[in-house]
Amino acid sequence: MLTIIQNTFREALAKKIFIGYYIFYAIVILIMIFLVNMDSVEGVMSLADSKMLVQQVETGFLTISWNLIIFFSLISTASFIPSMLEKGTIDLLISKPISRPMILFSKFLGAVLFVFLSMVFLLGSMWLILSLKSGYWDPMFLLSILWITLAFATMYSIVVIIGLTTQSTVVAILVNFFLIFVLCPLLSTREGVVFTLVSNETVKFIFDFLYYLLPKPGEFRDIATSMINGDQINMWKSTANAETGLFTVSCFRQLALFCLCLLLWRILYFTFPKKITNNNYQ
Amino acid sequence: MHVIETQNLYKEYTQKFSKQKVNALNDFTFNVEQGEIFGLLGPNGAGKTTLIKILLAITFPTNGSAKLFGTDVRNYKAKTKVGYLPENHKFPSYLTGEQVLSYYGQLSGMKAGADMTKRIDEMLGLMNLTQWRKTKIKKYSKGMMQKLGLAQSMLSDPDLIFLDEPTDGVDPIGRKEIRDILAQIKSRGKTIFLNSHLLSEVEMICDRVAILNKGDLIKEGNVDDLTKAENIFAVHTVEPISMEIKQKVLAVDANAGIGEKEINTETGTASLNKIIDVLRNCNINILSVNQKTNTLEELFINVIKKDNTN
Ligand SMILES: Nc1ncnc2c1ncn2[C@@H]1O[C@H](COP(=O)(O)OP(=O)(O)OP(=O)(O)O)[C@@H](O)[C@H]1O
Ligand SMILES: [Mg+2]
Repeated sequence: MLTIIQNTFREALAKKIFIGYYIFYAIVILIMIFLVNMDSVEGVMSLADSKMLVQQVETGFLTISWNLIIFFSLISTASFIPSMLEKGTIDLLISKPISRPMILFSKFLGAVLFVFLSMVFLLGSMWLILSLKSGYWDPMFLLSILWITLAFATMYSIVVIIGLTTQSTVVAILVNFFLIFVLCPLLSTREGVVFTLVSNETVKFIFDFLYYLLPKPGEFRDIATSMINGDQINMWKSTANAETGLFTVSCFRQLALFCLCLLLWRILYFTFPKKITNNNYQ
Repeated sequence: MHVIETQNLYKEYTQKFSKQKVNALNDFTFNVEQGEIFGLLGPNGAGKTTLIKILLAITFPTNGSAKLFGTDVRNYKAKTKVGYLPENHKFPSYLTGEQVLSYYGQLSGMKAGADMTKRIDEMLGLMNLTQWRKTKIKKYSKGMMQKLGLAQSMLSDPDLIFLDEPTDGVDPIGRKEIRDILAQIKSRGKTIFLNSHLLSEVEMICDRVAILNKGDLIKEGNVDDLTKAENIFAVHTVEPISMEIKQKVLAVDANAGIGEKEINTETGTASLNKIIDVLRNCNINILSVNQKTNTLEELFINVIKKDNTN
């Protein structure tokens, strides 16, 4: 299992796309340094001020780049499953004394771990710079590494599912693009936008249903930003915010979503061998 | 205990978007014993690769069962002591030759460390790939990939090795080396199962062969028995054979086939010698006497033709 994870890392590093990915990170970090420098030139700030500022920068950054980071990570790791399923590669893997679920799970874990480490690099260095410059050390931002990895893992389950069924990297990426940038925003603002246009109850129900069912990377972001701001978050119950129609962060529901993915994942455990037999890459 | 044991294997591929079915294996039962080199022959699409895939649980039979070392193949532990070279194998192209071996070695249950490194050195040396060990495999030629694949299949010193067209793309010298390596592996009591089209090669290294056609097992046996020289001889003469001599020859062997300077007999050494006596008595000089042996190739072609006309 460790071997497969290690190899997944190698594959990840061999992908040219990661160079672009890291250049992007490096630019972001440089901009951060630049911004923070400008701020501190203006004079000595009180601790409360710098706390405010740091929180603003942190939440601002997360809000803007959250989906982008996740989508980037998805693009870079989406090809793992299809490339593993290629004729001539999968045959050899299965001929080894490792069970099929283990092969799949190791690949998944390898990708998630890789993204986790990238995040440690990106968010960790950002946090370090901000804290050093401002003198305000708040570990809450570090927790975002965990949240963003979880959000990635949730979305990556979908990539895996699509990768397994279609063996196509492109389809997996397209579906995720649609989910992250079209469907999720549409669904989360459904009460403000869609429902004013359609009054049909069934359509409303479908929208609600989809909203609860589909994994939403944005909810983890809300958890992350709330924690940074020290807001009260209700971990166990979703409470509707009447004004915007959005739901307050609910870790519980997100956990449930994650369980749903795990469930799908479990189903895949059993369909995985069958899929392989039925397909033409035999 | 048989190393490989199959019971009435039956495999049917169904095409995804059509009702068409391909019958890749039909009621296939056979065993392979320890220390054998077993060759599976058959024309393209006969079901050879399918059989290996079933034996490694890469694909599943529609019916029937298979065991390796007495363990059902569906249990992945059955594959602990097994090596495999797939046809058209693909290794991750971003690895070097050395890394490929270490990756698949570890997947086969080897522990990373000095022992494995030594073994990798040994295998690369055996395949003449030592100078390529640090090269990314996307720069390898076809034959080099094939050799690397072979090295991979033998790396963990498995008791049973499946080779799907092992010498595909390898030059004659390399092929000879591979044959020697296989013979050496066999001498250590390992079992080898190979698929090949190169019948002369199979003839040289295999102990036992099975011929598969359209999913049916049509012939199986020891290579020596199958290719045993039948009682066919050809006598070539220096002088042309006249009508008169022809009559005399036909008198001793009524079935003899007589050409201008050639006589064929299919009734064994006794009549061969009688024919020679006749010829010598008539002062005909004999140029050569040949015993015909059935090469595996001839046998293969005959058997497949016969099966296809039935
Ligand atoms: N995944 C698949 N889906 C559908 N049919 C398949 C599949 N794999 C193989 N077949 C069919 O099964 C039959 C046997 O194929 P197989 O690959 O076992 O042949 P083979 O004996 O290995 O041939 P070759 O000598 O060309 O390697 C062929 O008719 C082939 O078309
Ligand atoms: Mg084949």
